[in-house]
Amino acid sequence: MYKNNDQDLQTGQFLIDMLDGCQHRGPDSTGFALYGDAKPGQLRLRFFTGEGDEATADVQRIQSALSEQGAEVVEDQVIGNNYRVTVNFDGDLRKFSYRMEHVAKVISIGSSLEIVKDVGTAHHVDDRYDVRSFHGTHGIGHVRLATESDVKPEASHPFWATGFADVAIVHNGQITNYWKMRRRLEQRDFEFSTDNDSELIAVYLADKLSQDVSLKEVLRTSIDDLDGTFSFLVSTRDEIGYAKDRLAAKPMIMFENDDLISIASEEVSLNRLFPGQALNTKEPPPGTYNTWSRSI
Amino acid sequence: MVTIDLAELTVRKANELIRKHGAAGEDVEVINPDARHHIGVGLISPIRVKVRGSAGYFCAGLTDQARFEVDNNVGWGLGDNMYAGSVVVAGNAGAIAGVAIRGAELVVRGNMGSRAGQVMKAGTLCCAGNANFMAGYMMYGGRIIILGDSGERLGEDMTGGEIFVGGSVQDLGSDAEITDIAAEEIESVREFLDRYKIPFKGNFQKVVNAGKKLRYSTSEQQMRSLPFFSFSGASSYWNPKIQEDIHIKSHIGRYRIRGYGGARSLPHLADLAFKRDLSNAGNHVDVISQVEMHTEIGGKNGAEPLKLSMPVMIAPMSYGALSRSTKQAIGMASSLSRIAENTGEGGMSDAQRDAADQLIFQCLGGRLGWNIHDMLRADGLEIYISQGAKPGLGGQLMAKKVTPELAAIRGIPAGIDLRSPSRHPDILGADDLVIKIEEFREATGYRLPVSVKLGAGRVRDDIKIAAKDGFDFIELDGMQGSTGAGSAEVIDYVGIPTLAAIIEAEEALAEIGRRQDVEIVLMGGIRDGTDAVKGLCLGADAVAFGTSVIIAGGCIACMQCHVGQCVTGIATQDPEHEERFHVHVEAQNIHRFLESVRWQIAAITQGLGYTDVRELSRDDLVAVTPEAASITGLPYAPEYRDNRVPQVEKAS
Repeated sequence: MYKNNDQDLQTGQFLIDMLDGCQHRGPDSTGFALYGDAKPGQLRLRFFTGEGDEATADVQRIQSALSEQGAEVVEDQVIGNNYRVTVNFDGDLRKFSYRMEHVAKVISIGSSLEIVKDVGTAHHVDDRYDVRSFHGTHGIGHVRLATESDVKPEASHPFWATGFADVAIVHNGQITNYWKMRRRLEQRDFEFSTDNDSELIAVYLADKLSQDVSLKEVLRTSIDDLDGTFSFLVSTRDEIGYAKDRLAAKPMIMFENDDLISIASEEVSLNRLFPGQALNTKEPPPGTYNTWSRSI
Repeated sequence: MVTIDLAELTVRKANELIRKHGAAGEDVEVINPDARHHIGVGLISPIRVKVRGSAGYFCAGLTDQARFEVDNNVGWGLGDNMYAGSVVVAGNAGAIAGVAIRGAELVVRGNMGSRAGQVMKAGTLCCAGNANFMAGYMMYGGRIIILGDSGERLGEDMTGGEIFVGGSVQDLGSDAEITDIAAEEIESVREFLDRYKIPFKGNFQKVVNAGKKLRYSTSEQQMRSLPFFSFSGASSYWNPKIQEDIHIKSHIGRYRIRGYGGARSLPHLADLAFKRDLSNAGNHVDVISQVEMHTEIGGKNGAEPLKLSMPVMIAPMSYGALSRSTKQAIGMASSLSRIAENTGEGGMSDAQRDAADQLIFQCLGGRLGWNIHDMLRADGLEIYISQGAKPGLGGQLMAKKVTPELAAIRGIPAGIDLRSPSRHPDILGADDLVIKIEEFREATGYRLPVSVKLGAGRVRDDIKIAAKDGFDFIELDGMQGSTGAGSAEVIDYVGIPTLAAIIEAEEALAEIGRRQDVEIVLMGGIRDGTDAVKGLCLGADAVAFGTSVIIAGGCIACMQCHVGQCVTGIATQDPEHEERFHVHVEAQNIHRFLESVRWQIAAITQGLGYTDVRELSRDDLVAVTPEAASITGLPYAPEYRDNRVPQVEKAS
């Protein structure tokens, strides 16, 4: 995250470099959650589509669902196997999101958030979706080694908090009380689009955020409420934050200067931004959390 | 001093150069390190290596004698398993600094991450700043000096060694206590600090093991051994085994430990039969010459493969669980039969190395006996994740077997009830494992195959991870495998049968389209050549024999392996008992057994109409029980019941 905008914001390129630095941890898929400028009353949506004729059918289905929900298309584009669309919408976002989930594979919905993710390396995904030309204030990214679920674009990170605008997460670890937490949220009519524990963390956090709890406070409670191993980063329209489990089983390291804060699994990723320099990095202790807000 | 620029060279190339300059006695400077992993790994020359910046994971790992200086930070696993030599880090160190060191002096001028000094055996790890969570976790020996504050659970489950803390101790871990310090200990710490020019005037607290968990409080009384038939518990509900269990638990108040394999009846390879009538198999006077059986394992990614005269290996069994003589005899037999032997946990003895032509060196979470020198003289390296008899648990070695000699090779205090860690300090996920494999490859110049041993649990996921992480081959161990000591309930009730394991593994590899480039060695209750051929038919590239080899060497299956008083001299460290084991005689017995396996494999393969073991396929098999049919998806054909064990006899 950049702290001020009197400089050339290279968020897309920086995330590509950082992820390339730790691609050995996960060659299967790579993803980015990118935050651009929000326009009042507008939402950005990204969907996965099939190939060829299937893509055309998917797009038609999405367009008719959008108009059914009263969302007016401002601009749209098919890129890679994504359908990217900006709409005017001012209704109930959760209902809208779930409705869209039922007709298509939603990647993200938000006023400033766009998630780009696909199988392959950071460079593959950049080649297909032009991540490098993205110049927003902040973003998070992830490389994935598929372990318990398949190598599919929709199983890759970052995860959007289904039903909540602009909340995304990347996570390394395994939440062991996943089903218990999920059942609790489902009893309150939340829906999940995957069985991935990272999506659960995103929804858990976003639910609390929507009740006007601060991100910092939400992260504090997450350390008690989530069981298992985790190091995760969460991003919203204006903030990023991290939380780390009490067992310190998953790595995390950060570097902060007057211009930016960057957090990674390994220092090798941070050094990609500052080649040849000896960085004064910090490893967050177990059971801790923190947040940073953009001032621009 | 030679300068190596990591902006220009890969770490692999740089390490080759560092070792080359090391051998020539030239000091090295590494510039533009940019926190890359594995810098200096595998160096065994007494040179200085200056790293001008930050280093990544396993800096100076698996080294001996070299002196490293790092200008900035290091990542996880600083000085992993280092013997002699030193590392001085000007900045901070990530988690598990000084993991498993066997000597050496490590100095971190900044702060240290979590679990510093985990499973360290000797040497000094000194941190001028603060140490995070669980410093000294499961340490067996050596000294940790923390000049700042220490985090939660200091010295958690430490067995030996000392921790000196200059700042505050947030809290103590399980079985750790604060104790008095002798004047000469303070003096020794101050001498160390002076030597590394670390100014510190404060006082110290000393933390050591409290000794409450080193031994089981009440030992299990010796019972007259029950015959295997009664033991298997099939006879009646409150059978003699159940009664004995209850009696003993009422005395000791905990789970029981025993050796040997599970006694429950499980679906196994014996529930499969060959489709063809094999009554004439083996009629050829020299059937072995008629079938191609040579098998190379582990060479798919460019390492030097193991060259096996038949698709058979010895399963990993430790020197510790077994006597030195037994390991020697097995090694000799493996050489006579031209197959590969495996060290199991706990290190490599010279006798074993000399006896076995091809020897795989196994690395476990406790890093007991693990070291760079034995890695360099091994023919293959194996990362143990778990074993079929007790998946998810570490090994157990009762005090009776932890003799001074055995303790020395493992780097642990003698006379403790050793409960090996069930996890690796540096492998907490599939992503960490990638970095660990690369460390082993760097340390041995990418020459040796690196394999993984998986106890059958969640086979489908684990096999996929192992394939993606790039292991050279996979050893898959089913529930019918044995152990030198394990919880009795776990041995009988936890795990996935060998038959189901290989099926799941095959399906998993097919799902990710990797069947052709991954080799699997199947083990877990393989008893003879018939079982071996069935394993090969189901897709294994080779099979490994453990228990059957021990039985060939004289084991009487009394299930008391854990006690340490084995009457046959096999599972003991007591010299008087070991004398009963005649190395050369038993080596010949084991060799003859292995040759019977060879003959059976050849006879059945030829009987099935093939000239090469690689032609065997699952189409040669049917299932004769509904359970086996359900597990394997093979046709259920009970009429083939008589074909389960071909009535083949050696012609000559």
